[in-house]
Amino acid sequence: MTNTLTMLEIDRVAKRYGDSLAVADVSFTISKGEFIALMGPSGCGKTTTLRMIAGLDEPTGGEIRLWGRRLNEDAPWKRNAPLVWQNYALFPFLSVRKNIEFGLKQRGMPIRQRREKAFEWMERLGIAAYADRGIDQLSGGQRQRVALARALALEPEMLLLDEPLSALDPHLRVRMQSELVRLHRDLGITFVCVTHSHSEAFAMANRVVLMNEGQVQQIGTPREIHRRAANRFVAEFVGGNNLLSGTAVDAGNGLMRVDGPFGSTLARAPTDRVLQTGAEVTLVIAADCIDMLPARSGTGNEIEARVLTLEFIGSAVTVFLETLGGAELRIQRPLHEIENSPLSPLSPGQTVIARWSEDEGYFLPA
Amino acid sequence: MAFWAIPPILWQFAFFVVPLGFLVAMTFWSVRSFRLTPDMTLANWMFILKAGFFRSAYIYTFKLALLTALIASLSAFPAAYTLAFRLQPRTRRFLIFMLVVPFFTSYPVRIYSTQIFFSPEGIINAMIAPLGLGPVSVLDTPTGTVVGYLVLTLPLVLLLQTFALMNTPRDLIEAAHNLGCGRFRTILTVIVPTARVGLVLAATFAFVLSFGDYVAPLYLGGSNPPTLSILIADQVKSGNNWPRASVVAVTMILTLIVVMTAMLALAYGGRKKGRG
Amino acid sequence: MNAHHLRRGALFLWTALLLAFIFAPIVSTIIFSFNADRFPSLPWAGFSVRWYEAVFADATILRGLINSLIVAGATAIVASFLGFAAAYVDYRYRFLGKVVYTALIALPPAVPVVILGIAMLTFEGRLGLSGTLTGVAVGHIVLAVPFAMALVRMRLADLDPDIERAAWNLGATPWAAVSGVVIPFCLPAILASIFLTAAVSFDEFMIAWFVSGVNETLPVRVLAMLQGQVSPKINAIGAIVFVVSMSLVVIAQVLIGNRADRSSKRT
Repeated sequence: MTNTLTMLEIDRVAKRYGDSLAVADVSFTISKGEFIALMGPSGCGKTTTLRMIAGLDEPTGGEIRLWGRRLNEDAPWKRNAPLVWQNYALFPFLSVRKNIEFGLKQRGMPIRQRREKAFEWMERLGIAAYADRGIDQLSGGQRQRVALARALALEPEMLLLDEPLSALDPHLRVRMQSELVRLHRDLGITFVCVTHSHSEAFAMANRVVLMNEGQVQQIGTPREIHRRAANRFVAEFVGGNNLLSGTAVDAGNGLMRVDGPFGSTLARAPTDRVLQTGAEVTLVIAADCIDMLPARSGTGNEIEARVLTLEFIGSAVTVFLETLGGAELRIQRPLHEIENSPLSPLSPGQTVIARWSEDEGYFLPA
Repeated sequence: MAFWAIPPILWQFAFFVVPLGFLVAMTFWSVRSFRLTPDMTLANWMFILKAGFFRSAYIYTFKLALLTALIASLSAFPAAYTLAFRLQPRTRRFLIFMLVVPFFTSYPVRIYSTQIFFSPEGIINAMIAPLGLGPVSVLDTPTGTVVGYLVLTLPLVLLLQTFALMNTPRDLIEAAHNLGCGRFRTILTVIVPTARVGLVLAATFAFVLSFGDYVAPLYLGGSNPPTLSILIADQVKSGNNWPRASVVAVTMILTLIVVMTAMLALAYGGRKKGRG
Repeated sequence: MNAHHLRRGALFLWTALLLAFIFAPIVSTIIFSFNADRFPSLPWAGFSVRWYEAVFADATILRGLINSLIVAGATAIVASFLGFAAAYVDYRYRFLGKVVYTALIALPPAVPVVILGIAMLTFEGRLGLSGTLTGVAVGHIVLAVPFAMALVRMRLADLDPDIERAAWNLGATPWAAVSGVVIPFCLPAILASIFLTAAVSFDEFMIAWFVSGVNETLPVRVLAMLQGQVSPKINAIGAIVFVVSMSLVVIAQVLIGNRADRSSKRT
């Protein structure tokens, strides 16, 4: 991504509604052709940020620039940044075709040309059969496609999506997810997608902007965010992380020992700052980085723990363990691995050894 | 925004607020040698408020409107109850639609028709004569006026009461029955209090409409004694004394403001306490 | 059980009597408009359309009918435009004093028409509008705007505010969004309001009585005829007015009804 052009700059943007600050000082840039996810819990300011890009809300501070040009005061109808709305916001009194033609008509495209263009997009999204239907005769998934076609028919350089999948049932959601990814790849335009779901964001986006309480918490690839959370909020929000609180003790060789109710573990000391011996720290270990063994192997961190419960989510299993010191550990493993493990059948009350290497854990800033 | 916001308010301001303001201003004007002259005199107010004919007309109109509100409310209630609770939804929908019809049939024609009904040789007398009753003569009496007011107000009162009762939660009524509350007591202790706002609203409308009506007191009441609206019309059309007519009109508006405020208090008063 | 049946019977009887009281004047108007006898009473004197012929032969009545139609048409168009504008402002914008704004627009029907009439007469007299059909229409519009506003506002309650923004987002200017999205969405309500306000104006007699002067509308003519002796022509006029107004209201009702059907399907 280093040699791509910076397309959109969100520069110290803020949005205040009366006394409350929906967005406080948010900055990030978007390059041409990226698939950016704005992610965070509800009320974090992600949707407001998207609406400011679309011009539906005007920033009360900072600047939004497109190709270096200030965009703040441009009216929404002058920006070519079509939005796929959470509830689709399709025109209820217009047919599918007329919905898709709407934007083209506003641009003054002659009727035959926009018919053709609308037809192309309906074909492409598999809704040509419904061209003359009313919106109220469509299913949720079909409406979603109409909303997409209506926005894409404008052939924008940037498509905005506000929780595009939230109104779909889980089965459709997964299909639509991969379809969006394919569309993004085929069209080569920039997608900016708001979502509260980290699985959606991680599955689709090249880069994720994680927000909370009006502020950016972390910007990075899904992998970076998953493997190196910038702070406690991120580590907890993306899920699947064990956060262990303990006291740091220097162990030499760039390693740090952390003592806590889980016992004593080793991790690499952070390179960006110095941890004093005796400091209170939080150590993060991703749940899918922990192995379970029947007996100690003598390598890495090994902690004896008792199985509390097991949760089966599709082909993955989450195992909740309690260490002898009373700390809780969560482990995520593929189902087949659990089934084929010497520990099988795994059941509550069983004692196992939880193991992870020194490289897997990392420290959060205090 | 201005394109949409200004025309309606400008229209209502220019042709509603200003004329009413003008009406108020005119109560202080004087008529000199048959010509309306801007002035700041209280003479019109003094004249009207002191005039015996005004006072008796005021009391008469108020009394009759109040009586109408009462009769309309009480007589409509059993019918509203039947419509809301005792009829099939289809029948109810049909009747509700039918009750809208009177609003769009010429009221003067309905009054004319009523006049014929009650005339000495009219249908009512023709019907009761074989029973050895009558002849009744309500025309040109206060009773006639009230009958006319009822022609005007009953459809609205019945509609509003029906809507109010339909909104009473059914489970509340069932709960009352379940707790051993008899039908009649349920009406008094559950249905009337919960539908209070609508019932009071209906009575208020009945009062307001009757208080301002001109047709019924003229054609059924024989304008004898005159009501306030007849006073206004007389002052304007024959007497040509607009300032005095304006005084009557303004006292009517003030009366209605007081009545509506009182009724609103009656409708909503003590509500929050009841809920807490 | 017996007492229960009795009570039930009494309730139905009372309801029937009340409905009879409400509808008898309307029904008898229509029936007696076809009665051959001069005086509308029993026994029935035979079917006849002579009163209708008399009505259509009466130039003052015809003039009144035409005047009424002109006023109703003008009222319907202006009041529906103003009502739409007021409803849209209420739907779309938030501003200081909005309650006062909407209340002021909605208030006229709460004022007795006698008072509206005299206020109009005195005020319009100054403007030289009294005695003209324009003057009558001006008063009727004041009275009708709240009805138009209410109809359109109810419709707008079903319009997701995002829909208009979606139109902007697709490049529609605020004008294009209103004409391309908001008005088409409100069209059934706007048409309903045109018919309903026409009916309101067509039946209004008090403001018209004060203001119309020599340009009598039909209801004003009826009022004048009421003052004279019994005339079966009034029944014929009443029946004609009934048919005209009810057609307008039924059309309005059908337009609103379609909306209700469609929105219920949507859920």
